Amino acid sequence: MIKTEKVLHLKSSRGRKVRVVREHYLRERVPCFSALCQAGCENDGKVLPGDLTHYVVPDAEVVLNYLEVLELVELQGVVFTQTACQALHSKGRRFYNRLRNLLKDPRHDCVLFANEFQEFSYCPREKGESQEKWQTRCVYAAAVWYYNHLAGMMNLVMITEDLDAVSRFSSLNSGVYVIGVQEYLQSFWPALQAAQDLYGSVRQALQEKEADGSQREFPEHLPAQVLEAGIKSGRFVQGTLNVSKHRAQNEAFVTSDGLSSKSPDLSAGVLVEGSKSRNRAVHGDLVAVELLPKAEWRGKVTALSEGPADERSGDDETKPMPTGRVVGILQRNWRDYVVTFPPRDAAQAQSRAAQRVLAVPWDRRIPKVRISTQQADALQDHRVVVRIDSWPSTSLYPNGHSVRVLGRAGELETEVQTVLIENCIHVPPFSEAQLREMPVNSPEKPWAADPAEAAARRDLRQTHLVFSIDPQGCEDVDDTLSVRRLAGGKLLELGVHIADVTHFVREGSLTDLEARSRATTYYLADRRYDMLPAVLSADLCSLLGGVDRYAMSVMWELDAQSLAVTKVWFGRTLIRSSYQLHYELAQALLNGEEAQVPELARLDPEERDAKLSELIQALETLTHIARHLRAQRDRGGALELEGVEVRAQLDQDKNITALVPRQPLEVHETVAECMIYANHWVARKIQEAFPYQALLRRHPPPRQELFSQLVDTARAAGFSIDTRTNKALADSLDRAVDPEDPLVNRLLRMMATQAMSQALYFSTGAQPEDQFYHYGLALDRYTHFTSPIRRYADMVVHRLLTAALQLERGAEPGKPPAGNKDMEELAEHINSRNRAAQRAQNLSTGLFQCLFFKERDPETDPRCVADAIIYSIRDNGVLVFIPEYGVKGPVYMRNKEGLVVAAGPDSTCEWQSGSVRRHSDHITTMSGRGSATFRLFDHITVRISVLSTNCHADTLTLQVISNQPHLGAAPQRPGSPRRSQLVQEVVRLAGEAQEKAARRPELSKEEREFRQSRTPNLYSLLEEIRELALMDPDAAARAGTVMA
Amino acid sequence: MAGLELLSDQGYRLDGRKATELRKVQARMGVFAQADGSAYLEQGNTKALAVVYGPHEMRGSRSRALHDRAVINCQYSMATFSTAERKRRPHGDRKSTEMSLHLKQTFEAAVMTQLFPRSQIDIYVKILQSDGGNYSVCVNAATLAVIDAGIPMRDYVCACTVGFVDETPLADLCYAEESGGVSSLALALLPRGGQIALVQMDARLHQDHLETLIEAAMTACKSVSKVLDEVVRQHLQEASVLSRE
Repeated sequence: MIKTEKVLHLKSSRGRKVRVVREHYLRERVPCFSALCQAGCENDGKVLPGDLTHYVVPDAEVVLNYLEVLELVELQGVVFTQTACQALHSKGRRFYNRLRNLLKDPRHDCVLFANEFQEFSYCPREKGESQEKWQTRCVYAAAVWYYNHLAGMMNLVMITEDLDAVSRFSSLNSGVYVIGVQEYLQSFWPALQAAQDLYGSVRQALQEKEADGSQREFPEHLPAQVLEAGIKSGRFVQGTLNVSKHRAQNEAFVTSDGLSSKSPDLSAGVLVEGSKSRNRAVHGDLVAVELLPKAEWRGKVTALSEGPADERSGDDETKPMPTGRVVGILQRNWRDYVVTFPPRDAAQAQSRAAQRVLAVPWDRRIPKVRISTQQADALQDHRVVVRIDSWPSTSLYPNGHSVRVLGRAGELETEVQTVLIENCIHVPPFSEAQLREMPVNSPEKPWAADPAEAAARRDLRQTHLVFSIDPQGCEDVDDTLSVRRLAGGKLLELGVHIADVTHFVREGSLTDLEARSRATTYYLADRRYDMLPAVLSADLCSLLGGVDRYAMSVMWELDAQSLAVTKVWFGRTLIRSSYQLHYELAQALLNGEEAQVPELARLDPEERDAKLSELIQALETLTHIARHLRAQRDRGGALELEGVEVRAQLDQDKNITALVPRQPLEVHETVAECMIYANHWVARKIQEAFPYQALLRRHPPPRQELFSQLVDTARAAGFSIDTRTNKALADSLDRAVDPEDPLVNRLLRMMATQAMSQALYFSTGAQPEDQFYHYGLALDRYTHFTSPIRRYADMVVHRLLTAALQLERGAEPGKPPAGNKDMEELAEHINSRNRAAQRAQNLSTGLFQCLFFKERDPETDPRCVADAIIYSIRDNGVLVFIPEYGVKGPVYMRNKEGLVVAAGPDSTCEWQSGSVRRHSDHITTMSGRGSATFRLFDHITVRISVLSTNCHADTLTLQVISNQPHLGAAPQRPGSPRRSQLVQEVVRLAGEAQEKAARRPELSKEEREFRQSRTPNLYSLLEEIRELALMDPDAAARAGTVMA
Repeated sequence: MAGLELLSDQGYRLDGRKATELRKVQARMGVFAQADGSAYLEQGNTKALAVVYGPHEMRGSRSRALHDRAVINCQYSMATFSTAERKRRPHGDRKSTEMSLHLKQTFEAAVMTQLFPRSQIDIYVKILQSDGGNYSVCVNAATLAVIDAGIPMRDYVCACTVGFVDETPLADLCYAEESGGVSSLALALLPRGGQIALVQMDARLHQDHLETLIEAAMTACKSVSKVLDEVVRQHLQEASVLSRE
């Protein structure tokens, strides 16, 4: 079968030309990966369908330059040749990996054909033949082989940029066509405008590159071997480049995990100052830096800056830190960027230079990108997705090409898309093939539990009273509870039943892959992108009331007196939820108030009372257990962190009519506590079964130095905060309450939250056991199990638990769970997606806040004036928090012209010339009108306005107008008259939103409101997402689900 | 940054082989008339010539003679033209001394030395062209030469290298693979009894993988032995035809 053949290679090692002889084995049977194959090839894995009009074989050069076009999912039946693949490999690992991922992706219709190992499609390179010519010939031979192999049943189209080849080959074989890329796209995919646009822009970028060549703007990067050697010897430092958000032009830091261990000096990172020393590195790149001599070290700038034009002075800097310059880039980390095309004047438009545009990225940390395009005029003020191609040393800016136009800047839809793309969130609608995998549940064909499946599960439908407690209007109910007494009241049985998503979503199915790549459901301020198709998330997996559903259950037997666990049971069950309660209703039942339970409305009074008392009994028992569990964790040092959770009220059309902060009811805590308990026990179970490959969640203890701001601030307010352990921190935060101003405690908790590190998923094999600890919840092991509908991690945990149970039963698990390496990779992926989801949520919240304030005139509208509290003092200003809107931001005491804030006798403030002095707990301005002092935790009045920029996200600016608390913001602001006004303004107002400032009951009386405009989807979501996400994840998630 | 992809996603190696496939083995016995036994063996592009003298009386110092068995004397060398860059290779450099020692150990385990007390067997191996797996090619060539010399052995000694890439053992590495940073293991086997004559490895490898690696090496050695056996039979047939005439 194997024949040996030899090829000659000319290869240089260490610069010298060497002739190397390599063997090359050919074989007759190379799998063709086509469904039409008649020869019985061993086609395992992805196979090209047989029902296409043609297969397309791209030439090596096409793959090299236009891989992006071929990446479009719409192009089907692509056969990549090994020749092209190898050409790509020589270009760089990054490109090659892209192709590899493409080939692995089951959603994409493409295969790799190893043409050089096939006896009849291989053509040896002839003497004097150029590499390009040889590659084209190889690809053509492969196409011909393919055509003959499929017995002429499928036409083959070879696309190439080599016009010579088109004329030479096109008439040789009847079924194999050779045409140019452009012609191909136009004649075979006329409907696919995106592909043609993309082709055009890539092509133009390539032509530009050829034409280039002028003097150098940057020093060249060092070659890879030199860098590698330098890093090993310690001459260079390797790390990721982080560009400072506020001084993107000048400041960047290089940080890496490895740095701190080598020398303590570098633990804070290496400063890279100025664009010359940054040497073409872009935010996120893996770079090598060379440290400058100590004399040239600089410090960070701490003053609040007002945009990039801010002048800088020496005394604003901190003490010098290691400073260096980039000498080489180890790995580019370019992603898709959103840029805005600048407006241009008509005079320019005709010149040739007009085709080259400097577009400004939305992310300030990214340099401007030079794009050459014909459409520059049409795209003025549009947001466009671009990719950076290269950054030659002769150019001040990187070269790129446009990929997709999002729309005009400033429009809501454009901005939301921008937020998604900037966070690399890709959420296409679910494909046909994915939806085909879903079970059907329609009125004609209702879904029913499979009897065989039901028999294999523990049936709880008759024996247990199962109910769910969720926010009102919740669609995806993923957790239910049950509680009952056993053994004559001596034992309690607590059950947590979670939707059995993994029953419907098989591992490796298309839906699973999609869910895996999304990793979580994305919640934006006005919309939601589900992780799973709606038929699962809102119907078959959702544990709705009164219908049979599959569940994954954890049940504990507790001693009725001591509440100690005597037995735990895990397993798959079949349940029917009896009540679908919401929080307010459950709390009302607990408080003994009159409440209407919809499920009981139609029963006769006697029966209703019996059922009601049964339900109330269960709720009470549950509360009792939860209190005990909470106390147990409190003893361990669980933290209660500040978080405002906002709930949206929906009307029939799913429009949000009001935003109500969730009133902190005890029942919230009860449910959250049960979920934490279930998560904890599942974590224990899977960690025991799979000590090296279980997916857990850890929350590392925060770095002590991050607490310094909190401790200093608290000291100024007269409290001492002990941050040594989580227990000490929790206790001292509880003590730090100012009876005059409850906001103080809230701010302190907020700052504590900011100091925390993020909780992370990890694989147990990748961390030592003492790192498993969850700091915030004070548990030694924790994972996510209770929300599989909207988190992929929970699905993984479900699968692990299933495998663990199978192992226990002695059965061979159907498929061994992923190894430690894969699991850690998956954990990394989920973590990064979660961060992206959080950032996107933050950004969209900010976006809506800005849209809200943009509509009003800051000088006249009373809503633009608000009460703010100072929580940090800086050199030229203070940082404030506005409880009414949940906005944080800087307030300047000295503006760009050097004027300072001066407070008059009537406490109004205006700009005057003067000076600012900063102290540890207050800041004083001196001016002609006398001096004004602003202390920590002072209430001041600020005016909110929107600083519009064309290219970036709008930002809110705050300006102090009085150093006294804002009177209008006080609780006595009348609520009802305002409301009637609103009703009159029906045309303009979508509804009315209320914001209750704090979670403490005494403060909840404060009712505030603001107007909303009528524009569709335009409302403001006022919340602190960051805090929210750091609260107990379950509780936070619950708040999230409501936004649906 | 290692540039080469040693095992593609489709399961092909650099030269088009699959993970378990050997290079093409071609061999000839009795290439020289002067020596007692000789053989020429090609394994892919690695080519070796082996020559055996003996058993004969001890030459040089008689004190090295053993009273109960024969002494095996091995000498390994590489031709100056055997690699891509011409290089003078004096005898007795570290690498070839080590290789000689390995060969000696291998053949002491295989040749029935106790039949020839106080005598000496010389095995000379020269690499004519080197393309990876030098040790195993030498062992295979020397086996044929020893058989050609008519010296009794317990079994053929067959050797093969295996490398470990992406959790997959690769049989019979070529030079490009060996230099590509693979942890490789060389194993010499007496295939019939499955005894290992020599294992040599100087790279890092996780202990868990060792077993699979050795398993793969043994399978590869057994396939080598089949080829060698065929060569010997063919040679015998030719020789008997010649002698009959």
